[in-house]
Amino acid sequence: MTRHAIEAAGLSKAFGELRAVDGLDLVVPAGVVLGFLGPNGAGKTTAIRMLTTILRPDTGSFSVAGIAHTRPIEIRQRVGVLPESAGYPERQTGEEFLRFHARLFGRSAAGAKEVASMLLAETGLAERAHSLIGSYSRGMRQRLGIARALVNEPTVVFLDEPTLGLDPGGQRQVLELVRSMAEARGATVVLSTHLLTEVEEVCGRVVILNRGRIVADGTVQEIVRRAGAPRHARIEVAPEHAAAALQALRQTRGIEIASTNGKPGELDVSLAAGDAEAAASAGLRALLDADVPVHAFVLEGGRLSDAFLAMTERA
Amino acid sequence: MTTIALSPPRRAWLIVAGQELRDLWLGGRGLALTLAFSLLLSVMTYLTATNSVLNFLEQRESVNLTLQVAVAVGALLVLLGAADALSGERERGTLESLLLAPVHRLELVVGKGIAALSLWLVAFAVSIPYIWFLGRGVGLVGTALGAGFLVGSLLALFLAGLGLLLSSVAGSNRVSLSVALFLLFAFFAPTQLPSGAQQGWAGDLFIRIDPFSSGLHWLGKVVVDAHSFSQDASWLASPVVAAGLALLGALGAARFLALRGGGQ
Repeated sequence: MTRHAIEAAGLSKAFGELRAVDGLDLVVPAGVVLGFLGPNGAGKTTAIRMLTTILRPDTGSFSVAGIAHTRPIEIRQRVGVLPESAGYPERQTGEEFLRFHARLFGRSAAGAKEVASMLLAETGLAERAHSLIGSYSRGMRQRLGIARALVNEPTVVFLDEPTLGLDPGGQRQVLELVRSMAEARGATVVLSTHLLTEVEEVCGRVVILNRGRIVADGTVQEIVRRAGAPRHARIEVAPEHAAAALQALRQTRGIEIASTNGKPGELDVSLAAGDAEAAASAGLRALLDADVPVHAFVLEGGRLSDAFLAMTERA
Repeated sequence: MTTIALSPPRRAWLIVAGQELRDLWLGGRGLALTLAFSLLLSVMTYLTATNSVLNFLEQRESVNLTLQVAVAVGALLVLLGAADALSGERERGTLESLLLAPVHRLELVVGKGIAALSLWLVAFAVSIPYIWFLGRGVGLVGTALGAGFLVGSLLALFLAGLGLLLSSVAGSNRVSLSVALFLLFAFFAPTQLPSGAQQGWAGDLFIRIDPFSSGLHWLGKVVVDAHSFSQDASWLASPVVAAGLALLGALGAARFLALRGGGQ
């Protein structure tokens, strides 16, 4: 097995004046679930299309599953892709669609039938296997697309916006599928999505793209720390202790602003960006030292979504 | 399921052709087009056999007229099928899934071309009883069907290549189909010229360079004037060259087949 599932150096692609991807350098270890994030137009889909050999890069080189970009057919043999806004032949059944694609990946007729049945069961579509795709809901089509991406037992799977246009239930189903797929198959998964909460749960590593460039690369925790996104705390104390609490907090190092928010006994606190956890601990200690009973101490911010906004708005 | 190391299929064009043929014929589109084609031929045959204005035609001319319509419309069906083949996939958002398969793009185009050509083969098969009915009794049926198949196949190959070429580069199905139809009518135009305009060296050249006019002219020589296949073979040069060029163009464009039109 190759050590790195994906290695890209200096990948660029322009459409006319627009530089969709601008010097992308990326190394993804094998077996990782990578969150590939970025605002609309950041270049995620173009990058995925280059890595899956659909688009030719203007400059740069890459390898996927250890295969150089100069051998596109071999790369396609080893990757599974759910394209963004994929279309489906309305007049084929789900089973027929999967069988056809399995044959295109070199499976025998019997092998294609077998893998189609297995994947339909795995994606919860077994009961609708012989229904026309035209009658499938959007969520069912997305699951069928994921099944199609798996017909060749890929070592690297690219899922481009698999939850786009799905209701919360559908999103949850698809993400569960991604999670189980990654665990059961041990494949490297590149997941492009806007559902940041789920990325925090599913992805071991995150890359944030903005205007064609990588602006962050690391674990969720590393990115949140590096982003220095503002963090806040909401503290509840007995109303008669509010003044003492404010005084104690304002003298605490790392606490930048402490104020009441209009509700009796509730205080809002802004924490220093560098080490918010330490500032929060110091604030809590200061309150206890000042004999202020703390009813609630809720740390807010510091999630991936805050880092995402901080990094993409800053760039 | 057992894990096996997969390698790209050996004859992917056959797999693509098989699926395309199923979609075309079991999906109903091919049957609908063939039904419309057979209705047209029925009307033509009925009129040439019974209508007091048209049935003055000598039997050979009746066969020639019906055969020319069968050839022209049969080839038109191929153009419609081929022009939709790739731009249709592009428009429906299904092209990317096909391009992600580990097969040469040439094989995708060949598979789709075979499905489009099946429209001509079925149209020809449908036209056989009509030609037999009109040409029976004068020893003409075999010759007419042979000549019709030869010219029709050349024109079908030409239009399959042209349709696939347009479909490869067109950004949308509408563009591909409208350009294809415009070109088809442009090719038909010389066949509609008054006979005076078709005489002289300029008229002769005009007809010879147009694959449709040239092919149908040869068909008339064989069916109506009872010439041998080789006697006027030079009239087939244009359909042969057009078919060759269009197919080469389509296969060349296949290398640059891309997600969006214009090679992007």
